[in-house]
Amino acid sequence: MTPLQQGPILLPERIANLIGLGDGLLGQVVGGLIAAFLIANIMLAMTAVAGPWAKRKITAAFTDRIAVNRIGPFGLFIIIADAVRLLSKELIVPEGVDRPAWDLAPIILPASALLGFAVIPMGSGIQLADPETGLVFAFAVASIASLSLVMGGYASNNKYSLMGGLRAVAQNIAYEIPLIVTAASVVIFTGTLQMSEIVAVQREALISITPALTIPQWFAFVNPFAFVLFLVANMAEVGRNPFDIPEAPTEIVAGYQTEYSSVYFVLFYLGEFLHIFLGGALIATLFLGGPAAPIAALEVIPGFVWFLIKIWAVFLLTQWARSAIPRVRIDQLLDIGWKGMLVLSFANLVLTAIIVGVIV
Amino acid sequence: MTAHADAETLQQVDSESTADTATDLEALLGESVVARDDHLNAPAFVVHRDSVQEALSTLKAEAGYDHLSCVTAQEYEDRYESIYHLKRYDDPTREVSVVVPTAKDEPVSQTAEPVFRTADWHEREAYDLVGIEYDGHPDPRRILLPETWQGHPLSRDYNQERPQIVRYDERSNPLESDRRVTDDAQSAEISGDGTDTLLLNIGPHHPATHGVLHLCVTLDGEQVVDVDPDIGYIHRCEEQMCQSGTYRYQIMPYPDRWDWGGAGLLNEWAYARVAEDLATIDVPEYAQVVRTMAAELSRMLSHFLAVGAYAIDVVGDFTATFMYAITDRERVQNVLEDLTGQRLMFNYFRLGGVVWDLPEPRDEFFEKVRTLTDAMPRRLEEYHDLLTNNEILQARTLDTGVLPPEVAKQYGCTGPVLRGSGVDYDLRRDDPYGYYPELDWNVALEDGCDNYSRLLVRLRELEESAKIVEQCVDVLEAWPEDERNIQSNVPRTLRPDDDTEIYRAVEAAKGELGIYIRADGTDKPARFKIRGPSFSNLQALPEMANGEYVPDLVATLGSLDTIMGEVDR
Repeated sequence: MTPLQQGPILLPERIANLIGLGDGLLGQVVGGLIAAFLIANIMLAMTAVAGPWAKRKITAAFTDRIAVNRIGPFGLFIIIADAVRLLSKELIVPEGVDRPAWDLAPIILPASALLGFAVIPMGSGIQLADPETGLVFAFAVASIASLSLVMGGYASNNKYSLMGGLRAVAQNIAYEIPLIVTAASVVIFTGTLQMSEIVAVQREALISITPALTIPQWFAFVNPFAFVLFLVANMAEVGRNPFDIPEAPTEIVAGYQTEYSSVYFVLFYLGEFLHIFLGGALIATLFLGGPAAPIAALEVIPGFVWFLIKIWAVFLLTQWARSAIPRVRIDQLLDIGWKGMLVLSFANLVLTAIIVGVIV
Repeated sequence: MTAHADAETLQQVDSESTADTATDLEALLGESVVARDDHLNAPAFVVHRDSVQEALSTLKAEAGYDHLSCVTAQEYEDRYESIYHLKRYDDPTREVSVVVPTAKDEPVSQTAEPVFRTADWHEREAYDLVGIEYDGHPDPRRILLPETWQGHPLSRDYNQERPQIVRYDERSNPLESDRRVTDDAQSAEISGDGTDTLLLNIGPHHPATHGVLHLCVTLDGEQVVDVDPDIGYIHRCEEQMCQSGTYRYQIMPYPDRWDWGGAGLLNEWAYARVAEDLATIDVPEYAQVVRTMAAELSRMLSHFLAVGAYAIDVVGDFTATFMYAITDRERVQNVLEDLTGQRLMFNYFRLGGVVWDLPEPRDEFFEKVRTLTDAMPRRLEEYHDLLTNNEILQARTLDTGVLPPEVAKQYGCTGPVLRGSGVDYDLRRDDPYGYYPELDWNVALEDGCDNYSRLLVRLRELEESAKIVEQCVDVLEAWPEDERNIQSNVPRTLRPDDDTEIYRAVEAAKGELGIYIRADGTDKPARFKIRGPSFSNLQALPEMANGEYVPDLVATLGSLDTIMGEVDR
């Protein structure tokens, strides 16, 4: 497959053109930096809304409560209040922590998630880079998160942290393989790892009733089984109920983040939310047509909005699970991962390969 | 039928059924019996301090007294005394006490631990507070007070005036065996014994301990090798405080403080029952109905909290189930607030009745209670949907925290913990008091012996409690207006006869809450001993949790529904 010469113009190019720097090296560097800054800020802003405000409101709705409603409209200003509060807290460094590993862990976690967004096509031309190996890149950088968790857990000089770190690694290994194998089944369909191509393939019609009312060929519709597998594996990957055992508060206090306070804690939290969103972005890109509208008639709404709706839907799902589903035990989790998910995902991969080979 | 008559017949029945059995038992025990020292509730045999195990095992094996309810220790002017309060699980009205006197200068008596495992903690407490030593005890440490405490607070020569301050660094340091404290220790460890277990302190401040409980856990990876519960963090000298209060009014507020989960009224009943039997006070039947209703509402408070907190332990910290349970609990709480005027420390019972009648207008109150009880079955369905019918919760709780019935009896477990192990034992039915015998209700029983069974028992008991409350409301509504007698005439000052002793228990939310009182002719008890059900239940935790994973340890602890107020007292 040839690289897309006349494909969508990426965000850095646009910015470079906009400020008149052209296609040169300078234009690429400056445009790239500004674009990265913009995308990172969009994601951070989303996390800011999700963490202090949306999460509270959603959980409250599930549990018959009201949650924040005093500061600003719908309590929205709690975001600012919380930011001030969290940043002004004392950073407590416990005795005997293993620095600098202890300091690096909270930086690596959000960084790994942010890097993943670089290759996600967010619609309305917002995409930082579109390498041929985009999907692999996204998984590769997202996996660095495990490193951060084990660093934080091991360096904290706390047994709960250590247990949390070990659990996180065991869990991530058990679920990353099904996650990637399931994603590979999508790649078999599309024949490419390039994110923009994966999205483009899903634009084709699955069922066409009228030109305006066409159900697109989203892989969630084409292969719902893979979609469910990916959703579940992703839930474990981001460590949310029923798979929140790396931090299981009633068991190991807060796992790897037990000893972190103030800004470091914020960074960890930020990283977790970013990972949920990155998971949502991957699900949207691989299975829900990326930034595309579900039916042609709704394409008046910009792609970026659709993209946001999709990743927020995934976020909502994690919050729902968190409120309602009991946590599995660590050994049960590993059982499900190695004996269930892995087998199912490989079965899915082989079946997909056969079907694609025979039919297409 | 008044409670006075009740008590009398009860005593008659006691003396009748025990008249022959007491002599039988005396014959059975043979030469180990030195003398008789009968208590109001049971015959008591004085045995020599070296034949404790012999006497207890004879009673257990040959007469079926398989429930060591409580061990009371006390100091007289001339001697120390340990009293073993025995019952039968199949008939708790059949009681017998074994009294073991020991000399002043050498307060050592044989341990009962090989016969009843539960004696372990009870005797440690006796040593800690009174100063009796138990020969052959496997673990003769203090239990409630810090290791470095000087003297025994309930002994006669103890200086109550002198404060003792135990600095944190004087306490036994649970981190001493931490192998990661210094590099030297680390290298010593590598070359040393080569164990690869991990010592983990769960608590005293930990999300799962439901209070200030400290579990010293030895882990092999994620698996529990050993658990050593360390209690006493909120020991508040409740027994001592009750001993310095007068019978009539000053003791009743304390039982509320042994359980802040909402079961205060059940605890008040424990004191009301023992004091009324001690001073032969009768309770008007109307008051008994009110008490029964209030007590069951109180049980609902406690069980809702237990179920909700269990959801947190197993489901996670942001669970809807907990909030639903708290919402439902709040409805019960509102009713109790209308009735007692309080939300936590009710102080509603009085000797001989209750403090005041139902709130006016009565119709409104009845309506409110009925709305509550009518909604119960439907509300409970939701808990079954969210908890007991959930596959993941079943996978988590079935066959974990297994407590076989025989082990449960060894540890003196009672309440939902025991009934979850399939032992049909409920004092409300088996040792009847209040208005329970007149009502139609069932004892919730499950024989799974695991965490799931205990959860199920609590949910079913909620339903049964609602049934009892509903029937009480019917009775109260039909009660003739001029016969609403809420309290009998009780003298302002009570002075039970010198040297009368009594041990009585009621079915509190967590199990059998017993109180032993020795009167000395004054208006204050000479010895006031509390048997908290959680104290015995918690003792069984190591049996249930050893070999399990950490998450199951937490789930098992949650299923015991311990409340540290009655463990530490």
